[in-house]
Amino acid sequence: MSRALTGVLASQPRVRRQIARQIQSSTQGWFMMLPALAFLTLFVFIPMAYVVYLSMFQSNLLTPKPRFVGWENYIHLLTAPDFAQALTNTAVLAAGMLLLSLPLALILAMLVNMRLWGTRVYRTVLFGPYVIPLVGSGLMFTLLFNTDGGLVNRIVEIFGGQPIDWLGGRRSALAAVLILSVWQYTGYYMLVFLAGLQNVPQHLRESCQVDGGGRWSTLRHVTLPAMAPTVFFAIVICLIQTFQTFDQVYVMTAGGPDGASTTLAYYIFEKGFQMYDIGTSSAASVVLLAMLALLTWLQVYMRYRWVGEES
Amino acid sequence: MHTKRLRSTMARGGAHIVLIILCVMCATPLFWMIRTALAPNADILSARLWPKHLVLGNFATAWHAQPFLLFLCNSLITNLVIVACQLGTSALAAYSLVFIPYRGKRLLFFGILLAMMVPMQATFVPIYSMLSAFHLINTYGALILPFAGSAFGVFLMRQGFLSIPKDMVQAARVDGANEWRILVNIVLPHAKPTIATLVLLDFVYHYNSLFWPLIATNTNNMRVVPVALSYFLTQDAGQTLQWNLAMAFDVFAIVPVVILFLLGQRYFVQGVAGVSLKG
Repeated sequence: MSRALTGVLASQPRVRRQIARQIQSSTQGWFMMLPALAFLTLFVFIPMAYVVYLSMFQSNLLTPKPRFVGWENYIHLLTAPDFAQALTNTAVLAAGMLLLSLPLALILAMLVNMRLWGTRVYRTVLFGPYVIPLVGSGLMFTLLFNTDGGLVNRIVEIFGGQPIDWLGGRRSALAAVLILSVWQYTGYYMLVFLAGLQNVPQHLRESCQVDGGGRWSTLRHVTLPAMAPTVFFAIVICLIQTFQTFDQVYVMTAGGPDGASTTLAYYIFEKGFQMYDIGTSSAASVVLLAMLALLTWLQVYMRYRWVGEES
Repeated sequence: MHTKRLRSTMARGGAHIVLIILCVMCATPLFWMIRTALAPNADILSARLWPKHLVLGNFATAWHAQPFLLFLCNSLITNLVIVACQLGTSALAAYSLVFIPYRGKRLLFFGILLAMMVPMQATFVPIYSMLSAFHLINTYGALILPFAGSAFGVFLMRQGFLSIPKDMVQAARVDGANEWRILVNIVLPHAKPTIATLVLLDFVYHYNSLFWPLIATNTNNMRVVPVALSYFLTQDAGQTLQWNLAMAFDVFAIVPVVILFLLGQRYFVQGVAGVSLKG
């Protein structure tokens, strides 16, 4: 539109009123957005940018004045064995959750979806652990995994095994953290899958059965394909949640023995809060943020493809 | 036909058995916590499934050994204020995103999604230095302010608001109601389930969270429940830890969330389902 025409249009009273309304509604919109936006800017966006900035500097107790080092902290991370260990541990936890918790949750969701007598009770008990504070369950599991006299070792003894120093062993410490996570989160993923199952159109299932499909082929050809978006969502959420694993480690093992159960989040905490090595801690934070950003992007992108524009 | 019914009965029976076994596994740690909380010192690590003599006094001892009521008050005060703040900021933001037409909304929503993914574990250093510059460390302010706005809250509220007919809001506008009155008198009353979900999920989430309170407070007076719980292992660690008292304390800490969960289970389920399906 040429400028002259715009000017002519703007001089029309009706158009002018429309523009005025637009400006008013735009002011109102931003104004209502302001409180949330201000807090998020102050406590999410600025800190996020500042962490990226801090990751380029080196500062610790010995050199309190930050010194610009560019990529050095990242190069340090690439070569630091303790960071590699933390990343590996986090990956092992994530793999464990994907392979143990999610399949179990899917099976549970299908069982709970069978409209059995007492389903409500089952659902409550299975989802229950999710609302319990991780610190509280960490304390419980520390007792269960106690070397002499913990319930787990009592059961090991019944089967003729020797008591295991669960939280002190290099492999078993991480296994204990994983077991707690499975206990804590499986009920949550069960509910996620249950919601997905209840959204599978009933008529699809029925028509498959009318065509002579049995229970198994209905499951394989109708239910599971229709569940694809839900399964994808669960995988992404599970990864996001596992990458942030902190409480379990802090309470049960403190990252030990010798870093054998240190996760990425615990590594960041240890470096930043306990060793005041802000540069390394911030660089590790940026790595965590990048991984989470990739997952979030993947989720938004896939959802956009499945659900479409307006969602 | 007969075999089919038999097979269906067997499948149901099998399902019951699997579910019961897994429910027992879910409940075992909780059972063991209560069992240990009631056990005399000699029975804590014994193989006994249930102590021979119950020591109810453990609960009283645990209650007096630490100022649990103080920790609980700290938790309740900070969490209730957090929930109230989030409810306010999120309702306004979600209303703006859903019902007011203006430019830049896509960008704003993208910002919300971005903020949702950022965990405190990655940003605690700048937030700590910022709050410490304002001398807020070890105050309620430090525990509350970082969570006064919530991307998740905006996201959840937006989802609830999307199901409210736009015509209703439009009609109210034609009648001359301003946006504020529409939000309070029309939109919020229609979003009660969403509000209940947000309040419950939020409260439980913050009541349970350890990470930030651990960093933002270090005095006994400011301790919240999860930090107090974590001190059992980090301070009294090793052989001196009295497990029966620790478990009694654990029971105190867990009871509030368990009660909330049992009362508002419907909303927890809706919250989980809503976030995973729509949005």
